Amino acid sequence: PVTAASMVVPYGHVIGNEKWRGSEMAQKLQGKTRLIFEDGLGIVDFHISNRICILYISEADLVAGDEFKRRLVRFRNASSVGGIVIVEKTQISDQYFLAVQKLVVLELGMVLLPVANQGEASQLITQLVSFCISGQIFIKIQDTRRIPVREQSKDHNSNPFLRKQSSQLAEPSVFRTVQQIPGVGKTKALLLLQRFGSIHQLCNASVEELELVVGQTVARQIHSF
Amino acid sequence: APARFPRDPLEQPPSLCILADSREISSGAEVISSLKAVHGVKVQVCSLGSSDYIVSSRMAVERRLLSELLSSGSRSKAAQQRLQRLQGTFERICVIVEKDRVKAGETSRLAQRTQHYDAVLAALLQAGVRLLFSSCQEETAALLKDLALVEQRKNAAIRVPTEVQGHQREMLSFYLSIPNLSYLAALNMCHHFGSVKKMVNSSPSDIAAGAQVSAQKAEEIFRYLRYAFDVEMLPEDLCAKGR
Repeated sequence: PVTAASMVVPYGHVIGNEKWRGSEMAQKLQGKTRLIFEDGLGIVDFHISNRICILYISEADLVAGDEFKRRLVRFRNASSVGGIVIVEKTQISDQYFLAVQKLVVLELGMVLLPVANQGEASQLITQLVSFCISGQIFIKIQDTRRIPVREQSKDHNSNPFLRKQSSQLAEPSVFRTVQQIPGVGKTKALLLLQRFGSIHQLCNASVEELELVVGQTVARQIHSF
Repeated sequence: APARFPRDPLEQPPSLCILADSREISSGAEVISSLKAVHGVKVQVCSLGSSDYIVSSRMAVERRLLSELLSSGSRSKAAQQRLQRLQGTFERICVIVEKDRVKAGETSRLAQRTQHYDAVLAALLQAGVRLLFSSCQEETAALLKDLALVEQRKNAAIRVPTEVQGHQREMLSFYLSIPNLSYLAALNMCHHFGSVKKMVNSSPSDIAAGAQVSAQKAEEIFRYLRYAFDVEMLPEDLCAKGR
């Protein structure tokens, strides 16, 4: 059965599919995360948070044929949660990688991460779990929709790639923009902004008004810009 | 019954267009040449500054070498700031992780996967960045083309002429000085609004349609153009000459 609904994952835990019990991956994960096994996860291999699960595609799956594709499509159609696909990219399975990437990322809109073996996978999952704890990972569900919930935890700012809300003043930018008008340098830009206040008002000033600040030629240039 | 004619087979979808940053001429020469030669994509090289490639009106693509992501060097700090800026400018960002070229005769250094690398991947996902993996420049070109195709299907393809001349060049540099505005949005403005005055007097919805940006971004531009300038708030070093 396709079980791909959201699931309650306790803080800092990973819920693994029963079939992974005793595997190399499970052993390595157990050292770093709190791994719980559960029956009935269906096509999902691991749940790392309430809304994100992992589907693992082994080298053997890739070589065996298209069964894994059906599994991914079934997941995508049935799920209300984000899916991260981890794929074993080895010398043998390398030839299939590009096609799988195209299907997973470009057609299904899911996340794909290559690893060389189960050991690397366990290291990667550990990192993913720690980022899940520090804030919600954005995973696309529908084409344009991302999971909007993003808890503003204190660790959130530790992600170097997240845009900080900058409270920078616009003055330097406005000053620079006005200097892009032909004939206007630093001096004139400053005079113009002091007189007209904003780019909008400057652009709507009449030639006569502009002439009071700059010469006739430049006033015309600004007016016709 | 009237026969239903299939669409004219000669009628082709408009050709794909991708903007490439001028630095890519030296660092990604084969990406650009294979985009042109193998995939028939129109590549316009311009000084984008902010990103390596622009594949649609909303998506920027960064090309990163695997070795850069594996080590936590000084360069990663600059890369982080670059991505942060990109997020203020583009709705969608994709990073293509490309395997480094191995020189002939050099034994392939089997780069050890580092914890830093996994943390970078997780952080990028958390920031909503899409990830693709490539083994060489030719593959990167194929991925760029695929991305542009997907964006074209979603009606976000680059459709404006990418060259600007004369007065349009002046208008372009004026628009480019607006904070967090992508090169393509500035280009769209150039072609859509007959004059700067017309653009400046547009409503947020007109700006969104003309520049092909989100409503939120259009609102941001609208406010910027009406921002009340205060000389006292200008850093000293900038206005020193003006006083």
